[in-house]
Formats: sequence, C-alpha cells, structure tokens
Amino acid sequence: MRFDLSILWPHLPFLWKGAVLSAEVCLLAIIGSVVLGALVAIARTSSAKPLRWLALAYVDLFRNVPFLVQLFFFYYGLPELGIYIDAFTTGVIALSIAGGAFASDAIRSGILAIEPGIIEAAEVSGLSRRVIFTRIVLPIALRTAIRPLGAVLVNMILTSSILSAITLNELTGSGRIVASDTFRPFEVYAVLLVFYAALTYAVSIAVNLLHVRLNRGISQDVA
Amino acid sequence: MLKAENVRKVFGSTVVLDGVNLSVQPGEVVSILGSSGSGKSTLIRCINGLEKLDGGRITVDEFDVSKPRELAEARKRSGTVFQLFNLYPHMTALQNITLAPIQVLQQPKAEAERKARALLAQVGLGDRGDAYPAQLSGGQRQRVGICRALAMEPRYLLLDEVTSALDPEMTADVLGILADLARGGTTMVFVTHEIEFARQISNRIVFLDKGKLVVDLPTAAFFSAKGGMAVPRIAQFLSKMRKD
Ligand SMILES: Nc1ncnc2c1ncn2[C@@H]1O[C@H](COP(=O)(O)OP(=O)(O)OP(=O)(O)O)[C@@H](O)[C@H]1O
Ligand SMILES: [Mg+2]
Repeated sequence: MRFDLSILWPHLPFLWKGAVLSAEVCLLAIIGSVVLGALVAIARTSSAKPLRWLALAYVDLFRNVPFLVQLFFFYYGLPELGIYIDAFTTGVIALSIAGGAFASDAIRSGILAIEPGIIEAAEVSGLSRRVIFTRIVLPIALRTAIRPLGAVLVNMILTSSILSAITLNELTGSGRIVASDTFRPFEVYAVLLVFYAALTYAVSIAVNLLHVRLNRGISQDVA
Repeated sequence: MLKAENVRKVFGSTVVLDGVNLSVQPGEVVSILGSSGSGKSTLIRCINGLEKLDGGRITVDEFDVSKPRELAEARKRSGTVFQLFNLYPHMTALQNITLAPIQVLQQPKAEAERKARALLAQVGLGDRGDAYPAQLSGGQRQRVGICRALAMEPRYLLLDEVTSALDPEMTADVLGILADLARGGTTMVFVTHEIEFARQISNRIVFLDKGKLVVDLPTAAFFSAKGGMAVPRIAQFLSKMRKD
C-alpha cells in the first residue's frame, strides 16, 4: 500500500480542531485532578475519621470502576435525574474525578514520607494550617510525588481518547470521522499516534523540569 | 513568665510527667537535666503545645497552651530549637528564617530578610543565606535552626539537646552561640547532656527523674555537696555523665 499524507490535507483543519479540543480537555483535567487529588490527600491524612473514610471510599470507588462506565453514567445516566451536562464539561469532570483518585494516592504517599519533625517545627512557629500545607507539606510531598503524579497525568491523556464515546469530537473522535470519510485509516491513525506521543512527551518534560525545580538543594537527587 | 503547674502527661499506661512545677522568669537560663527517658523532651513538647497535657496547666506570659485560642499567642512567645534541626528542606537558609516572621508577624519581606541576614551574620553564616539545608554541615544547620527560632523574637527560647546530633567541634560552635545569647539576656529553657556547659550558663538547674521534678536549685547550689549532690540520684547521674 501507499503511504500518502497529502490525502489528509483537506481534513487537517478538522483534525487540528480535534487536537486542540483534546489538549484543552487534558489541561483542564490535569488541573482538576491535581487539585482534587491534593484535597483528597489532605482528607486521607486528616485526623477526622469520617473525612478519612469518605476520601478512601471515593478513591476505592473510582479506581475500581471502568472509566467508560463512569463516563456513560455521567453522560447518559445523570440526565435521568434531570442533570444535563454537555459532553465537553462531562469529559473534563469525569477525567478529573478518575484522575483525582489516582493523583491522591501519589500525593498522599508523598505527605506520609515527610519527617514529622519538620511539620512540628512549622506548627510551633505559629504558622496557620493553611500556610503549613501550601508552603511546607505540599512542596515537600511533591518532591517525591511528582514522578508518580506525572505517570497518572500521562495515563489521563491516554484515557481522554475514550471521550469520543460520548460524542465529543476530540482528536480520536475526529480521526475516526476522517478515517471513515477517506478510507485511509493508516495515515489518519499514524498522525494520531504522533500527536498523542507529542502530548504525553510534553507532559513528561514538564514533569521532569518540575521535579528538578522542586528538588533544588538536594544535590544528589537532581537528575 | 513561663509557668508549668502540676503538669501531668501519660502515654498509654506510662506516666511520663508527674506533677511537674516549673517557672522561668524573663532573663533566666534554666537547664533541665535528667537521664534518658526522664521526660525532658516531653516537658518541652508540652510547653510548645506539641503534646496535650493530661493534667495541670502551662502558661506562657499568661497564655494557656491548652486553650486553642491562646495557644497561637503562647507559641508566638516561645521559640523552639530541635535536636535534629528540622529545617524546611525545600527552602534556603534565608527562607527558613523569614517564613514565620513574614506569615505570622506580618513583617514586610525586605525587613524580614534584612533581620535574617543580620542573624545569620551573628552566627557566622553571613554568606550562606542562599544555601539549602542539604548543602550545609550539621553545625551550620543547627545555627540556621537557632536563627529561625530567634527571628520570631521569642521571649523564651526552648532548646532540646540541640548539640547531641553534632560532632565535638560543631558542638563547640553552637554552644558558643548559645553562651553569647545567654550573656545577651535571652531567656532559655535548656535540655542538655552537656553538664559543664549547663553549669557555666545557667542561673538554675532542675533535675527530672522518672517524670518527677525532684530538684530545682540555683546552679551553684545544684553542684554543691549540701545541695543537689546530696540527692543520691543526682550524685549518681552526675558521676555517670562525667565518666562518659
Ligand atoms: N509519643 C510517645 N508515645 C509513647 N511513649 C512516649 C512518647 N514520647 C515519649 N514517650 C515515653 O516517655 C518517656 C519520656 O520520654 P522523653 O523523650 O520525654 O525523655 P527524655 O528525658 O527526653 O529522654 P532522652 O534524654 O533520651 O531524650 C519515655 O519513656 C518514652 O518512651
Ligand atoms: Mg529527649
């Protein structure tokens, strides 16, 4: 067979729109899942038992249900209760909720690894709980958590391709449309492969840079 | 005044502090001696609110550490230096020192940094403000730890075996700084195994034994034959410490 990318030329604007949509969904979901993951990690390390219990239930539930089922539940199930959310918002929310469950695990183990004396030093100096968390606990936890967290985020980008199942024409959805219009699935999916690889690679690079920055001052660990 | 009244602390079924009374006036240096496990660290941790009391009362300038509303005020008045430094590893020496003054005392950043640099210079680290803890020696870290506590301008400085993680040379450096502070009138509650040093800088020495504060004497009296040395536990403790 022939490999001819020029055949895709007229469809590029359409594919590009899908790619931008994918990037937008992923960016919002990355923010959503990190924020949610941090909040749930706080809840899971809190001294209030009901809070810990609730957080654990959330993590267990969303880690143990297929993402596609979660997605269908939000998009096709909730309207039965009179709750209508558009496909884009549903995608962002579903990815954030699922990603947040995994992200909270990474952040939580980072928090648990912190030397208790460091937090005690912060407490006795009179810092508020909010300042202790944002200025001390979170940055130290992220030093070790950033790599596992990066893996969660990369996984989330890959999972975003499933959103085409709820009529969202992100990149994979657009690709399928173009492939069936042109009968050239090979070229279409080759382009998609390159795009997803580039997107996840960009996230990996960002994570590495963050890792170096967060670990400033630990000479042996900067890599 | 810093005051502990009839303080009681239990861990499970062990009584760790048993009716401890102690008061420290501004300007005083009080050393706490006692063998391992006698409750010295626990007493310090009760004063700075890291442990809850099971009985009695601790007040720092009238602020009761057991009352959540007063704890913040009590903590502003005391500063703690830790055995293992407990510096914030992701912050430079300067950031370690300025965080609380900026956040708690609302000092402008420039002012906090100016004061921090002055403190660092005072302990011989004038050029290491931008170093991270991992880039400093143990002795240097502890000096930063002392600066971090002093930056809050505490009325009472609490020190728990601040040199026991250091080698002899670094210990001498840090003790030198503490001696300067004592001469300068800084109030200190000083838990230590450095008996000779305690003798040189303290106004008073208290001795803890199995959670009970058995002796509270002016330094000279503590070391005199008729004073502290007349208590068999103390004579035994001191002779053992001197041998080590
Ligand atoms: N969090 C805790 N849980 C249970 N027991 C504790 C705890 N902290 C301290 N203890 C016990 O309380 C007693 C007093 O401990 P503390 O650390 O105050 O002694 P110390 O006088 O500081 O000893 P050292 O000279 O070894 O530092 C010890 O028997 C110790 O095992
Ligand atoms: Mg101790």
